Amino acid sequence: MVRAYRPPDFQSALTIMRENRAIPLAGGTDLMVSRRRWSGLSPFFAKPVLFIGHLEEIKRVEIDITNIKIGSACSLASLLEHREIPEVLKIVISQMATPAIRNIGTLGGNICNASPAGDALPVLYAMDASVVLQRKAEIRTLPIEKFITGPGETVLKDDELLTSIIIPKKSYNVGFYRKVGTRQANSLSKLSFQGLARIEEGKISDIRISFGAVAMTVIRSREIEEILIEKSGKEIEKLIPEVSSLYSAVIKPIDDQRSNIRYRKTISLKLLRYFLRTVLISKIG
Amino acid sequence: MKGKIGKSIKKIDVAEKTGGYARYIADMRFESMLHAKTLRSSKPRAKIKGIDIPEIPQGYYIVDRNDVPGKNRVKMIVNDQPFFAEDVVNYIGEPILLVVGPDKEKIIKILSEIKVYYEAVKPVFTIEEAEKLNTTPIYGEDNCFADYEIEKGDPDEAFGRAAKIVENEYRTGYQEHIYLEPQGMIGIYESNRVTVYGSMQCPYFVKNALIQGLGWGGDRIRVVQTTTGGAFGGKEEYPSLIAGHVAFAAVKAGKPVRLIFNRKEDIQATTKRHPSIIRLKTALDDHKKIIATDVDIKMDGGAYSGLSNVVLQRAMFAATGVYNIPNVRVRGRAFATNNVPSGALRGFGGPQAFFAIEMNMHALADHVSEDPLDFKIKHMLKKGDHTVTGGVLRQDVKLDEMTDMVLGMSDYRKKYDEFSKNDDQVLRGIGLSLFYHGCAFTGSGEKDIIKAEVKLKKREDGKVLILIANVDMGQGAQTTLRKIVARTLCIPVDDVIYENPDTDVVPDSGPTVASRTVMIVGFLLDKAAQELKAEWEKAPEVEVHKVYEQPGYIRWDQETFEGDAYPVYSWGTNVVEVEVDPVTCEIKVKGIWGVYDVGTAIDERIIQGQIEGGISQGLGYATIEVMNSKDGKILQDSITDYIIPCSMYFPGIESKLIDSYYEYGPYGAKCAGELPFIGAAPALASAVQNALNVQIKRIPVTPEYLMETAEGEN
Repeated sequence: MVRAYRPPDFQSALTIMRENRAIPLAGGTDLMVSRRRWSGLSPFFAKPVLFIGHLEEIKRVEIDITNIKIGSACSLASLLEHREIPEVLKIVISQMATPAIRNIGTLGGNICNASPAGDALPVLYAMDASVVLQRKAEIRTLPIEKFITGPGETVLKDDELLTSIIIPKKSYNVGFYRKVGTRQANSLSKLSFQGLARIEEGKISDIRISFGAVAMTVIRSREIEEILIEKSGKEIEKLIPEVSSLYSAVIKPIDDQRSNIRYRKTISLKLLRYFLRTVLISKIG
Repeated sequence: MKGKIGKSIKKIDVAEKTGGYARYIADMRFESMLHAKTLRSSKPRAKIKGIDIPEIPQGYYIVDRNDVPGKNRVKMIVNDQPFFAEDVVNYIGEPILLVVGPDKEKIIKILSEIKVYYEAVKPVFTIEEAEKLNTTPIYGEDNCFADYEIEKGDPDEAFGRAAKIVENEYRTGYQEHIYLEPQGMIGIYESNRVTVYGSMQCPYFVKNALIQGLGWGGDRIRVVQTTTGGAFGGKEEYPSLIAGHVAFAAVKAGKPVRLIFNRKEDIQATTKRHPSIIRLKTALDDHKKIIATDVDIKMDGGAYSGLSNVVLQRAMFAATGVYNIPNVRVRGRAFATNNVPSGALRGFGGPQAFFAIEMNMHALADHVSEDPLDFKIKHMLKKGDHTVTGGVLRQDVKLDEMTDMVLGMSDYRKKYDEFSKNDDQVLRGIGLSLFYHGCAFTGSGEKDIIKAEVKLKKREDGKVLILIANVDMGQGAQTTLRKIVARTLCIPVDDVIYENPDTDVVPDSGPTVASRTVMIVGFLLDKAAQELKAEWEKAPEVEVHKVYEQPGYIRWDQETFEGDAYPVYSWGTNVVEVEVDPVTCEIKVKGIWGVYDVGTAIDERIIQGQIEGGISQGLGYATIEVMNSKDGKILQDSITDYIIPCSMYFPGIESKLIDSYYEYGPYGAKCAGELPFIGAAPALASAVQNALNVQIKRIPVTPEYLMETAEGEN
């Protein structure tokens, strides 16, 4: 049997976490699959389960002048319908899993699952997202890349809950996302690419590039992005080989049942060049 | 019933399946029923040195080789596969024993405490390794389940005078059935009899396997098919194995025992389509005409022979495709490896052969700078021509008419020319395939092996029972066979009753395989209905019985493989249009067209369903259905990793049937179930070839393969 708690409110949830070190379950679309057993038997959870998917306090989207704050238990489908969610994030979410899973799966769950192929991660890394973590007496905020430390690994403490995701408001005028999976709908990524940029007066004023499923965690390098700042179309064209080889050094995919090292690496770099040359430079003109 | 028989009616099983009240094996409950779970080999090849079994609580049982009362071999063409492993295991997933009991938790605990001591033996994982024979053979002396050769004309003489000789090698991969309902059986032992309920295609295969395994008379064994949620060949031979398991367990425990696989177990342990390597050497004369071909077909049969030799035969008999080649040599071998046994899957050897031959025709055309379609057309078979086995094509061959139709529907010629101009921005391509499927069992199999029997019974209330062993597994047999009988008897379809077969009630009308059900069994039912009609008024209850009689024209020698390999052929042509992403090499299917000659369609919508399902499954095989085995273990063992097409994956399919009539089929029907699968892969691969201007030599055509091929050629 699995012991499970369904707290009436968020504060009770924190109390239960402190007392039981439970496993938080929001939508359960990853947990229930990974822990399923012989049909008819309960899934295996070594620790008690805490249901949090119904807690209103972490199902809200709050907007202020500088940030968008998304409750960790917001379902993916609800974000697609929300007027204030940035279009670049919606593009990503709309390609995640199936409508049924998006109805119950949450953004917080996708982050805490910390899969190298987690679909929401590259865009969150690119948008400088932070996560808000809370336990009974403490709230802390971390950049997402500090939160996720490896495949399936985060710095979440065993009595702590991810409560919200903070995305700084920025306006990008170039966005390019590509998820490469075996099938267009409902498949896991072999690799993914996210490019965001702002072009002002024929030059790049802001650029963010991230790669999913090609290393232990999402790849984003501010140092390499820096090279492209304030550059014109012509200058970028010249920089493509250098930038490409810098990313090549950090893209370290694996061979597995879905794809192989060579394809993942080659296509990631092809998408990078496609973004820089075909999307970005053509936009700069 | 008036008008054409093909006019569609509502499919009989639609309501219960869409309504969710169809009862599958997993829905069935019996009093004090026990659960069973299988302990499987974790080694690809090993001797079993010993097994430690913990103390088993009251009411729990271990069922293993010692509990097989009869012969511990699953009845197959060759009896080499044990129900439970004896002193050796030959593949990962091979069943060693069952743990049976009332509580699943406890069963899992017992399983986790059993320890098997293995002594590893050097395994064989690939066709190449099996051929090299660098370890003790798994089967026989040469590791071949079958090694056949057939010859037509004088290939040596023709190769001797050839102007050009071209060689190509093609490879095809595994394919998994992914029937929605996994394998499952329930065994019951009462009153000195065993009854097995389960998801299956062939109740009498199962019954015969139980006769051998139990060592009992057939009168003590009853097999009942339960509503089957998809099969595709996967429930042809495999159910015999697990029917044995539940039967032995039920006898031992004295209680009903149920064994139902989960998806992972089903993928890891059950049969798949045979991977193949097919090498074709072709001789051309000065006029760019093929004068001879030498085909070498190698298949990975896995650890036990199963149906490998007949799958291989079907591939060999298709080795020249729809083309008239006067001089042919075909060698076929099915090798034993320490992979999961390969088995029946829609097409049964045909898809492998047709992929190779169609791509080879394309490559030959390129080689002699001819348009591939024109090159194919000039070699096309015609009525009266001889097949690879020297059989005569007695019925009409309407390939030219069908090709014209599909060219018109798809605008192939114009698109082919347009797409052939190299344009790196948009990589579009179009491809065409021509193919056939030999209907029903090979050669004289229907007469010599199957000997189908059917019964029709008029009840007092005027309703008519169809008594046959064939099953509806989603393909529509319940609907089409009812339509045939109703029409012949001039009674409403609703007055014809056709229950899931129960071997206590129905005669052996043969297995539901080889696209034979409508053509062979349906024809017998039609004859039975004619007889019943004549005797309708003679008594309140009338039963008629019919036995298969082979049409007089069939000549076949099973020893030499000479003569009419099949009673008749169904034909098809497909066009597929694709777009290939220039950055990621992903393939998007943009258009699909098909024209088929299946004789008379008994129900047009059911045929359309077979066409659309077959093409989709074939395109999955050709593109995204990647299954690899590493050190004997299947890597893609979930539907998360083994991806099949979904309904969004393809555009609409435009298909047409041409008028055709076969006098030994009911109302002129031939075969249709497997045919539409066969042409999809070569059409897709040809389209990709057209788009990228590279030679496609294997399926699945993955983006990984395309990227490497494109890089290799640059």
